[in-house]
Amino acid sequence: MMSFILRRLIQTLIVIGALSFFCFYLMSLMPGDPVDMMISSNPNMTSEDVSRLRELYGLDQPVYKRYLNWVSTLAQGDLGYSRTYRVPVTEILGPRLWNTFILSGLSLIFSLLVAIPLGVFAALNQGKKLDYFINFFAFAGISLPSFWLAIVLILIFAVQIPLFPASGTMSVGTDMTSFEGFFDRIKYLILPTLSLSFMSIGSFVRFTRSSMLEAMRNDYIRTARAKGLSRSRVLIVHGFRNALLPLITVVALSFSSLFSGAVITETVFAYQGVGQLVLASIQSNDFNVAMVSFMISVSMVLTMNLVADLLYGVADPRITYV
Amino acid sequence: MKRILCLIALLFSLTTELQAQRRLTAQELNIGVTQEFENFNPLIMSMMATTYMYRMVARTLNVLDENGEWVPQLAEVIPSLENGLARRTTIDGHPMIEALWKIKSNASWGDGTPVTCRDVKFSWEVALSPMVSISEKEIYDQVKEIVIDEKNPKDCLLRYREAKWTYNRLATFFIVPEHLERPIFEQFGNQAEGYEQHSNYTRNPTHPGLFNGPYRISEIKLGSHVRFERNPYFYGKPSFFERVVVKLIPNTGTLEANLRSGTIDMVSALGMSFDQAIAFDEKVKKDDLPFDVNFQPSLVYEHIDFNLDHPVLKDQVVRQALLMSIDREALTQGLFGGRQPVALHNTSPLDPWFTDDPKKIKIHPFSRRQAKRLLDQHGWVVAADGVRAKDGQRLSFTLMTTAGNRVRELVQVYLQDQWRSIGADVQVKNEPARVFFGETTRKRKFDGMAMYAWISSPESNPRSTLSSKSIPSEENGWSGQNQPGWRNARVDELVFKLDLEFDPEKRLAMIHEILFLYTSELPVLPLYYRSDVSVTPKSLRGYKLPGHQFPATNHIENWTLVDGVNEGAKL
Repeated sequence: MMSFILRRLIQTLIVIGALSFFCFYLMSLMPGDPVDMMISSNPNMTSEDVSRLRELYGLDQPVYKRYLNWVSTLAQGDLGYSRTYRVPVTEILGPRLWNTFILSGLSLIFSLLVAIPLGVFAALNQGKKLDYFINFFAFAGISLPSFWLAIVLILIFAVQIPLFPASGTMSVGTDMTSFEGFFDRIKYLILPTLSLSFMSIGSFVRFTRSSMLEAMRNDYIRTARAKGLSRSRVLIVHGFRNALLPLITVVALSFSSLFSGAVITETVFAYQGVGQLVLASIQSNDFNVAMVSFMISVSMVLTMNLVADLLYGVADPRITYV
Repeated sequence: MKRILCLIALLFSLTTELQAQRRLTAQELNIGVTQEFENFNPLIMSMMATTYMYRMVARTLNVLDENGEWVPQLAEVIPSLENGLARRTTIDGHPMIEALWKIKSNASWGDGTPVTCRDVKFSWEVALSPMVSISEKEIYDQVKEIVIDEKNPKDCLLRYREAKWTYNRLATFFIVPEHLERPIFEQFGNQAEGYEQHSNYTRNPTHPGLFNGPYRISEIKLGSHVRFERNPYFYGKPSFFERVVVKLIPNTGTLEANLRSGTIDMVSALGMSFDQAIAFDEKVKKDDLPFDVNFQPSLVYEHIDFNLDHPVLKDQVVRQALLMSIDREALTQGLFGGRQPVALHNTSPLDPWFTDDPKKIKIHPFSRRQAKRLLDQHGWVVAADGVRAKDGQRLSFTLMTTAGNRVRELVQVYLQDQWRSIGADVQVKNEPARVFFGETTRKRKFDGMAMYAWISSPESNPRSTLSSKSIPSEENGWSGQNQPGWRNARVDELVFKLDLEFDPEKRLAMIHEILFLYTSELPVLPLYYRSDVSVTPKSLRGYKLPGHQFPATNHIENWTLVDGVNEGAKL
């Protein structure tokens, strides 16, 4: 088991290293640079200003040199400086990662809490009205564009019935450590969480339903029933546990996106998350912010894949690691 | 059923209660913007939203006000040759100029430290450092020497390298507090970007001593909002609003929802798109909403660059026919309700150098018949496919612009249709803004035409867009902005002489000659001057949208409310 984990960790580090160069190279291929952004907002910049700034930022260097500079700075524990926001990367990225983690985490928990029981109910009532109703709800969730749903939620619950704030992360000047600050934060999270969850609920319901249907058709379920086990025991211990395997993969991959952010939801709700930041940093060629975000996303995907592999063993004792 | 009815009643009562609470008072004004902002170090800031907010917290020696007049801010008066505070001199046979800037006696930083010439000199030193990534260096570089009067450190003598008439226009000569920033500059100034990364603006951005304007920053959350509080040390009259909060709401739809729900009280010029503002203006009138939608023609010049290396478009007759065949009046009426005026050339009506005098510039009125005749006369014959041709060359080209920009795409369709009627075949080829500006226009890779906008400042030398030295090329690192590739020796001469001419009448004559050549040779097809838009509460007074690059916040201390409150809460 330990050698398996160690091997996978080494593989993970190699993949991260290779992907980091690949991402850096891809970003450098994009047309324009931070200086071009400055030109568009300052009509008085001269061609001398442009050349001087490109040299100062090292944009006149070949890609491999810029990559090596970035890696060596990172190796010293310095995540660098955001050229767009003019602050250290940690200062801008840290709070955004935390905000995204809260929003995505809450949304994931809420989605799972709603979707798993609905999926199980739908499977147990296959072909009945309840199944059709839940399926309709699930397909609606998958099909509705998230930006549309977000705008509708804002119009209903912030403009027509102003129960929640239309956008933002928390009220200006609120102290997050206080009790009042905590509730203020919750108030701002409700609409984006609902908007973000609606789509995941749909897909989780479909996954749970099909896994459960698959599991309930197996011989061991018939055997368990023949043994006279209670309905709940058959469902939970024999049916649901076996239905968990494909769900683990889907949920583990969803966990990996906890720090990636939801660009559309964050933009519509003006929620200070990392998705919006990454999009802006890619658009403005803010290498340091974009690269650190990429690295976090890549690491999360690879780590959660490893966790999923380990959880298979827990859910299914037949699986061993060599 | 009763429970449901009770719940609905409760929701309605709650709604009414919440709506009643939305009342704008002198306590706090909430402004929405859609554009990102950065840290507030004025020497390195480059984003428009930062500039918008910076003008609330700090002032420069002088500025162009909302009425287009140059007015003093930190300075007592603007030095000039006429008032004797400036004088022309010669050093080693080289003509120079020097100006005495007297800083207001009560001008102070937000911690009570007086603003002096030491701050001016220190800012100049920092800006000239090769290790600081200042975007526009020319404004500082024009100064050769700054002399501080030790007996009166409020007096500041600036000696300029050259005698240019623009010497006393220092609205982008930003000043930082020497007493807070010098130790940092001395410690980190020799590292690339070292000063800016350790500056108080980066590490301690709410320090009151960083600001000298009507407000100070009390809270800054990048990507979210900035909160401002009244600065008790401001030299001018105290602002009406005790606090101002600027909120970043990137989505324009959400921005409008925030305005209607009362989360924000107004939308700055960096908010709604033009088409959204027109639609919102209709809603305001229809539903009697308590807002004013303000439209102000600006210095942004929407145009089409011809690639003058194109075999068809290098022909001046073709360019003239293309311009004459489009009804730009109908275009602006149809698409913008006439709120964005037709452009005659690159100088906006807001600019004192503007002219629409047909004796001074060449005006090409709309006449499809005239355009066709012109092409016929010069051998462009309509072929069987309806497209004209001459010497085996078809009158066919591409028109590029930024993909996803709805207004520009509508204009493209309109132009395509109009040009088809005179036998010109136009293919639309759009690219994401990033590619279009970062590669295609910057390196002159557009095949035929490129539609986009230029922003200029009033009375600014058009050297960077019209001089042949500014044609982007590999040799100059693609750094020029003369994308059409226009070469005119007389224009080159005039843009060089323009800065050195102190006589305003002669200067005007020079610029009018440039405009004549520009409108005659048509290296660019003028479309319209864009308008800035903002939304303000009906009860707001003293607000004016300037239309130029110095934002409305330059006079924020003049903003007040009718009877002290905003009465409109009917949403």
